[in-house]
Amino acid sequence: MEQIVWFGWFRADIIAEYSTLFWRGLLTTIGLTVICIVQGALLGLLLGMARLAQARHSPARELCTYGLRWPATVYVSFFRGTPLFVQILLIHFAVMPLFVHPTDGLLVSGEAAREIKQNYGAFLSGVVALTLNSGAYISEVFRAGIQSIDRGQVEASRSLGMSYWRTMYHVVLPQAFRRMLPPLGNNAIALLKDSSLVSAIGLAELAYAARTVAGAYSRYWEPYLTISVVYWVLTLGLTYVVRQLEIRYGRGDSR
Amino acid sequence: MKFVRHLLAAAALALVAIAPVHAQDKELVVGSSATYRPFAFENPNKEIVGYDVDMIKAIAQKAGLKIRIVNTPWTGIFAALNNGDVDLIISGVTINDKRKQSYDFSTPYFEARQLIAVPTTSTAKGLKDLAGKKIAVVTASTGDDTASREFGKTNPDIRRFENTPTVIAELANGGVDAAIGDNGVIAFRVQEHKNLKTVDDPSFPKEYFGIVVKQGNKALLDRINAGLVAVKADGSYAQIHKKWFLTDAPALPAQ
Repeated sequence: MEQIVWFGWFRADIIAEYSTLFWRGLLTTIGLTVICIVQGALLGLLLGMARLAQARHSPARELCTYGLRWPATVYVSFFRGTPLFVQILLIHFAVMPLFVHPTDGLLVSGEAAREIKQNYGAFLSGVVALTLNSGAYISEVFRAGIQSIDRGQVEASRSLGMSYWRTMYHVVLPQAFRRMLPPLGNNAIALLKDSSLVSAIGLAELAYAARTVAGAYSRYWEPYLTISVVYWVLTLGLTYVVRQLEIRYGRGDSR
Repeated sequence: MKFVRHLLAAAALALVAIAPVHAQDKELVVGSSATYRPFAFENPNKEIVGYDVDMIKAIAQKAGLKIRIVNTPWTGIFAALNNGDVDLIISGVTINDKRKQSYDFSTPYFEARQLIAVPTTSTAKGLKDLAGKKIAVVTASTGDDTASREFGKTNPDIRRFENTPTVIAELANGGVDAAIGDNGVIAFRVQEHKNLKTVDDPSFPKEYFGIVVKQGNKALLDRINAGLVAVKADGSYAQIHKKWFLTDAPALPAQ
């Protein structure tokens, strides 16, 4: 391929040469991000509620404290306290081989394990790592959102006879969601960028494509500038979605 | 005020005293990616040791150069050379035409070939048998070039990693079917894993490692080449080769 040079220095041809990698990388990044945002939010919701679990009478009280609050607190502390990069490497090279291994996997072994590991191994590890990590951060967002709802709301709905779960589902969470949208949007955007770390375990996403081109040509401006622009555009898209959600859920607000 | 004046005078004197020493005997920074056992790796005392390290130390001693070895990640090692962060690279760098376009190489200091690593259950006899299989390589290494040339550089079956240990870990866990790399490194890593073996493809050409300097740095290159000639002449090369590889040192071309 002959050189295509923009502005006298930007060699667009080396990007064009690896365009398949970039397109596939874009789809993988988007897929990884969307899946992890959804799963992370669910996990965060459950963890956030677990951190606030309480009961008046034992044995439910002890069960709540030691069975829900403590494990959730330890989990959040660990996954916020260790670097995501380390978590990704740990999960891919140490944890996943325990469960999915052709010879002695605890969950899956044999031919199925080989199939999974080869075709989806890195993606699976990336999803697990990112979900567990973002779940920890999002749990704090949910905890803050739930705690910010006036106790009067909970008291009112409980006195009407609604169970804890009904209260959460019909009264507290809908109100809390409106308040949690900005920080949740923040976490979603951060997750989009954190997905680039999964390239270290060989997942062919955007950052991986850039590293391949940089390695092949020893040129750094072209690939990294390209993916910077792509990540920026994706972030703008995510911001737009969050903004639309804020508008939709904000109808009827006086502020 | 008097104290400050005295302090400034003392500082100026100190600078003047040091300057001539610096101008004479500038310490050269050597970049090496110390994840490349047995060429360069960190021993338990956190020192960088290996065949490359012994060779550069011997060459420096013969050429009258002062060197300091810095562990530089493979991904940015050539950029570091161009920026001036390192003055020369000795890191198992294979001499090839593409690299010669951008950097200057010394005369060869090691003879190598590519080697394939596969699980012991594999029936592959050579590179062609790996068609359709997942292959792990180090980004921008000679193994990467070999696999890309044979199967296409945007082929999704080629999985690129940042260094050799992660490549071998991926192979050992069953995430890929094969790995391609320099024979010295692959042979060492395979002997660490009971479930891996090496496959020698006779079509792989003989290659040579060279010391890399910035393009145009003829003065340093001449000194390194002179040192290398002396190291070969007095038997140090044979000694170092035997120490790390247990086999007799092959004769190296003078170009």
